[in-house]
Amino acid sequence: MRLGYVWAVFVKEWRDLLSNRLLLGAVALPALIFASIPTGLVAFIQVNDLDPNQLGQIEQYIANFPGLPAKLAAQGFIVTNFMAYFLLIPAMVPMAIASQSVIGEKVARSLEPQLATPLEVPELLAGKTISAALPAIVATWGVFVAYGLVNGAIADQRLTVLIFSDQWLVAMVSLVPLICLFSVLLGIIVSSRVNDARTAQQIGGFVVIPIIAIAVAQFFGGQATFTMQQVLIGNLLVAALIGLALIVGSWAFDRETIITRLA
Amino acid sequence: MIFVEGLRKEFGRVTAVHDLSFSVGDGEIFGLLGPNGAGKTTTVRMLAGLIAPSAGGATVNGHSLGEGSARIRALTGILTESPGLHDKLTARQNLAFYGRLYGLRGAQLRRAVDRYLGVVEMLPFADRRVAGFSKGMRQKIAIARALLHEPEVIYLDEPTSGLDPAAAKTVRDFVDTLRSLGRSIVICTHNLDEAERLCDRIGIMQGRLLRVDTPAALRRRGRAATVRVELNGARGPESFVEVLVALPSVLGAQAHEGSLLVELTDPSRETPDLVAALVRAGGRITSVREEAATLEEVYLHLVGEVGERDAPSSTVRETSVQEVAS
Repeated sequence: MRLGYVWAVFVKEWRDLLSNRLLLGAVALPALIFASIPTGLVAFIQVNDLDPNQLGQIEQYIANFPGLPAKLAAQGFIVTNFMAYFLLIPAMVPMAIASQSVIGEKVARSLEPQLATPLEVPELLAGKTISAALPAIVATWGVFVAYGLVNGAIADQRLTVLIFSDQWLVAMVSLVPLICLFSVLLGIIVSSRVNDARTAQQIGGFVVIPIIAIAVAQFFGGQATFTMQQVLIGNLLVAALIGLALIVGSWAFDRETIITRLA
Repeated sequence: MIFVEGLRKEFGRVTAVHDLSFSVGDGEIFGLLGPNGAGKTTTVRMLAGLIAPSAGGATVNGHSLGEGSARIRALTGILTESPGLHDKLTARQNLAFYGRLYGLRGAQLRRAVDRYLGVVEMLPFADRRVAGFSKGMRQKIAIARALLHEPEVIYLDEPTSGLDPAAAKTVRDFVDTLRSLGRSIVICTHNLDEAERLCDRIGIMQGRLLRVDTPAALRRRGRAATVRVELNGARGPESFVEVLVALPSVLGAQAHEGSLLVELTDPSRETPDLVAALVRAGGRITSVREEAATLEEVYLHLVGEVGERDAPSSTVRETSVQEVAS
């Protein structure tokens, strides 16, 4: 794979993305929503000096953080429990960008001229993947850092320590990029079969269901956040899904298929 | 130089291109004429290394389709059926992107972009987004994109489609310049007038190649050329027939409706001798012109012949080919 070609595709995609304000909004908005809800709750508890016993199932929450006072444990449970939703950003955003990119090219019939150059399909896909994944990774990491610092500032520095835990640092470095990659591949595969970006996103949207299910199960199971073991299993699972998606993707996106069916 | 031998493309059970064989020399413009779904675009896509042939093969400047396809794509410029530009980028950014894909970098890239924006008269619009461009402006940028890397082989699919007459002439003149630079050029077109003006040879195809020849030879439909000579004066045309048949280049001559009809092998070479002989014999010539069918008549005749022959299945086949191949 020649990096100069990947870079050329990346720059073109990036320029395209920057000129699409609606899509940029779609990147920023979920990240802000997922971060602001728990932060708002933490601030609400802090400002109103709520009695933790007013919060339902408090004993169960506090059990997750034995060394912390009840109020801080409740805040800790809220901030860490919501972090599962951060995984929705890498699941949703790259898919929206990738499907918009591929379907946009199909509509404009601009894939054929690109493939008529010395550019190879893997280089085209790599450029598209990086440009679709990067905004989501940057948004997730940015929100993660801000989330840790802001909640620590609002309540107590120990919340920052809880948020920047080992398992979440590992999740940010490994699981987030892996989910991004899977999301892009899924977006590309779905886009190769449909001609409308909204349809592609709706079909691809099913990828968020397992993540939401995990987050909900975690909440009702009384588990504050992922364990390191769960993060590592998640990495393996998503990596396996990426392998599967690469096989399907290479079949769905070979040069001849693109030219005769997509371009 | 392009050599095509038995090139064939099947999409499932549909054969889009049947056993095509032809060649295009350096400095030659070869026209591919045919109705929609005739396989012109599929042929160009195979020759440009975009899709693989089902059978047969071709070499483009010494590189074979298949293992040499990547090299072929590097030395080929292609104007696709649809301009396929990136609307959110400016004209300059579009060209710079493709220049990079063709391996141009830095100052060389900037020079090439500016040069070809100038060639297609789009420099004043270089920094505007393509989204606001008319069809003709898009076509100009797509032409510039095809030529940016100075390709040795050029495929142009309907190059003057959407262009006003002045812009079309600019493009035709430029294609003519490319021929003089020794490039091999294949033009797919429905525009018979353009094909006749530009192409050195024309291949009429409908799935298969029906006829390949120079425009003049095609118009004669494979027969000897007939030249009509109009005369003025007391002597009737029949009195010159004997003089003419004695000329070595004349295949036959007859008086017809007050004119002389003379059969020649190559009118462009032999007409001056014919005129000189007639003048020497006392003929007062008012006009000399070649009697030939128009290219349109030849095209419709050839394509119609195939249509009639394949009548029971032609509709089904054409639809399928268009769906799959175009």
